[in-house]
Amino acid sequence: MPAKGMLLSSSPHSFTPVSTPRIMLSVLIALVPASAYGVYLYGFSALALILVTMASAAAAEFVFRKLIKASTTVSDFSALVTGLLLALTLPPSTPLWMGALGAVFAIVVAKEFFGGLGANPFNPALIGRAFLLMSFPAAMTTWTLPQGLIVGPDAISSLSLAQGAVDTVTAVTPLGLVKSGKTLADVGTYLGTHSDGELLKQLFLGYHSGSLGESSILLITLGGLFLLGIGVIQWIIPVAVLASTFLFSWVLGMNPVFSLFTGGIAFGAFFMATDYATRPLTPKGQILFGIGIGLITAVIRKFGGFPEGVTYAILIMNIATPFLNKMRVKKYGFVPPVKPAKPSKEAAR
Amino acid sequence: MAVKTFKGGAHPPERKERSSGLAILRLREVKLVVVPVNQHFGAPLQPLVKVGDNVKRGQKIADAEGRMTVPVHAPIAGVVKKIEPRTQSNNSEGPCIVIEALPPPAEGQPALAPEELVDFMPPLDPFACSKEEALARVRAAGIVGMGGAGFPAHVKLAPSKPIAVVIANGAECEPFLTIDERSLIERADDVVEGVAITMKIVNAPEGVIAVEENKVHAVPLLEKAIAASPRTRAGMKIRVQLLKTKYPQGGEKMLITAITGKEVPSGGLPMDVGCVVQNIGTLLAMVDAFKEGKPLIERGLTISGGACTKPANVVAPIGTPVADIIAAGLAQVDEEKLGMVIYGGPMMGVAVPNYQIPVQKNTSGVLLLDTVEAKHYDEETCIRCGRCMRACSCRLSPALLAVAVEAGDYKEAEKIGLLDCIECGTCSFVCPSHRHLVQRFRVGKQILRALKQKEAQNAR
Repeated sequence: MPAKGMLLSSSPHSFTPVSTPRIMLSVLIALVPASAYGVYLYGFSALALILVTMASAAAAEFVFRKLIKASTTVSDFSALVTGLLLALTLPPSTPLWMGALGAVFAIVVAKEFFGGLGANPFNPALIGRAFLLMSFPAAMTTWTLPQGLIVGPDAISSLSLAQGAVDTVTAVTPLGLVKSGKTLADVGTYLGTHSDGELLKQLFLGYHSGSLGESSILLITLGGLFLLGIGVIQWIIPVAVLASTFLFSWVLGMNPVFSLFTGGIAFGAFFMATDYATRPLTPKGQILFGIGIGLITAVIRKFGGFPEGVTYAILIMNIATPFLNKMRVKKYGFVPPVKPAKPSKEAAR
Repeated sequence: MAVKTFKGGAHPPERKERSSGLAILRLREVKLVVVPVNQHFGAPLQPLVKVGDNVKRGQKIADAEGRMTVPVHAPIAGVVKKIEPRTQSNNSEGPCIVIEALPPPAEGQPALAPEELVDFMPPLDPFACSKEEALARVRAAGIVGMGGAGFPAHVKLAPSKPIAVVIANGAECEPFLTIDERSLIERADDVVEGVAITMKIVNAPEGVIAVEENKVHAVPLLEKAIAASPRTRAGMKIRVQLLKTKYPQGGEKMLITAITGKEVPSGGLPMDVGCVVQNIGTLLAMVDAFKEGKPLIERGLTISGGACTKPANVVAPIGTPVADIIAAGLAQVDEEKLGMVIYGGPMMGVAVPNYQIPVQKNTSGVLLLDTVEAKHYDEETCIRCGRCMRACSCRLSPALLAVAVEAGDYKEAEKIGLLDCIECGTCSFVCPSHRHLVQRFRVGKQILRALKQKEAQNAR
């Protein structure tokens, strides 16, 4: 007979090898192509912004949890994911201290105040970005031209862009141009392309001004497909977000393909709207969640004060998540409850 | 053959390669058996023997009145030594009858005649006798569902609704276990016969032997047995159905859905969709009960696990302490590496403190896990990844159900489907945070049932 004590526990006694750190690590890996492209476009300062933001997020989580005497959770890598996600949504010229501040706000206020991993109602990275956007609107809407992309003075004058606001260093995003009333052809002129097809190709590849990591639709989709392939995210939300953005952009009279290829919608669809804690868990809820994000994005882009609306679209739909979680699938063997028979008129009398 | 399955589920490591190629061994010499009095789902039994009584092999030693009762028989000839509470395979104490085998006759003494040692019933032809006679035989033979629940077979075989299909559950979706696989291979004829007997009793027009793809090598043997069976030659329709290898494919509801496409209604029984599902071991016990008049006094089980240096598929008398099977050399264990003992499979089996506990009617396997396999994880916070939502074969939204149960909101929990949980444990298996999901649901179900009972009493 065994002399030592046997482990007694309630079944199951077999466990998946998938763990939270492994999931978070795979998200970091999926973001490598988009991040690397951002560094390629904007150079060392972009890399510095990414690293400072990630380090600040991890440090904020570590220090805050020490202060409140909670267990250390930095090793689950979720703070690093938040930091990286935030950095990739910032303009490349964002000062490092601003990135750090955004990361601290995201982790402490949006995540830890609510109880940490899994308990936050709003996407922490997007809260960080929204916080910076409100606090420093100028810095957060100043865009840089990618290295090697030269916008000639001819293009600037022919588009009659305000002098000073745009020069060869400071740039406008394609969505910014459209917001200021320019056409797709004008965007093409600005980016130096010669046809709509060429323009869309350049937008898809990501060679234009924008947030650090959200310009290349190609690389973002690759990262998203990687996460889909290994089962870290599911297809419902990205497909619903993209399809709904396409549809509502078209309904509101915007070029639907252009809408998908610019701004943060692809990044949001694959990496922000799929955030575990803040998206609905039920398939039906996820479909409505995605549709809502597409709709709000299109409406903000068309009618809002900002050229881009993905951040707010996702945050607004985050509010709906607890409600959308009530839309459960019917359980196995569901039997509709029998309604009590209405008392007949005879009986009522 | 089209491979069928259900939605959801998971793929725990199979680990069947350790014992799937090993022929079933029979334990011959048994010195002592510890027979739990209650081995079925239903009302408790009363022992029919006293300490000091001589019992024959196959003699009824415990029984009770009532529909939900199944008698228990002496697995060996011997003397009743004790009747006392002992630890059972569900890790709780219950009354057990301890029988010591008769010593071999002393020098010069004549051996006892077989009729003094064995007390079987006369054979009965299930295809010639009445349904009532057949059901009486199934009960008299002490047959229960041998897959785990121990539901009385004579109750299952007397459905109040017409049955369209009898399903032989050869899915064996629990990792490690291979006893059903070996039985399908070594006793294919009897499996087919068991299906035919069940079809005759419930008057079903079709029989399906369902096996997972990892046992595809058993299919030609089963098809040969079907073709050769006098029952199919007489017109009975029996076929083999391959199923995807996926846990919990062998769950009764999942099996029915995979094969018929129908869902057992919430709170209902398989008969509500015209099905009767029988475990392979149960079918073999039925064949023995009719052909030889032999009650359920022995069963096959797999002994395996990382600390089991010599795994085995064995047939042993009910009540045999598993330690005695190992002592007899049929299987071997590395005591140094042993970290956990499980009666049943790793997904639904019960962890127990030692392997002295006897084989019971529902013991399909005993796992001796090594210290690496015997894992214990601390529960971490739910990251709301949704893996349990997709894995739940009953579509119960475990993540949301757990929130309701933890909050004590049993009204909401019932609405989500707490009582529909089959406790397969897939949710806890797939959870990257090792949340105790099914464990909460098990406790929650009991609390909810108690609450409902109280409510019903108050309403009166």
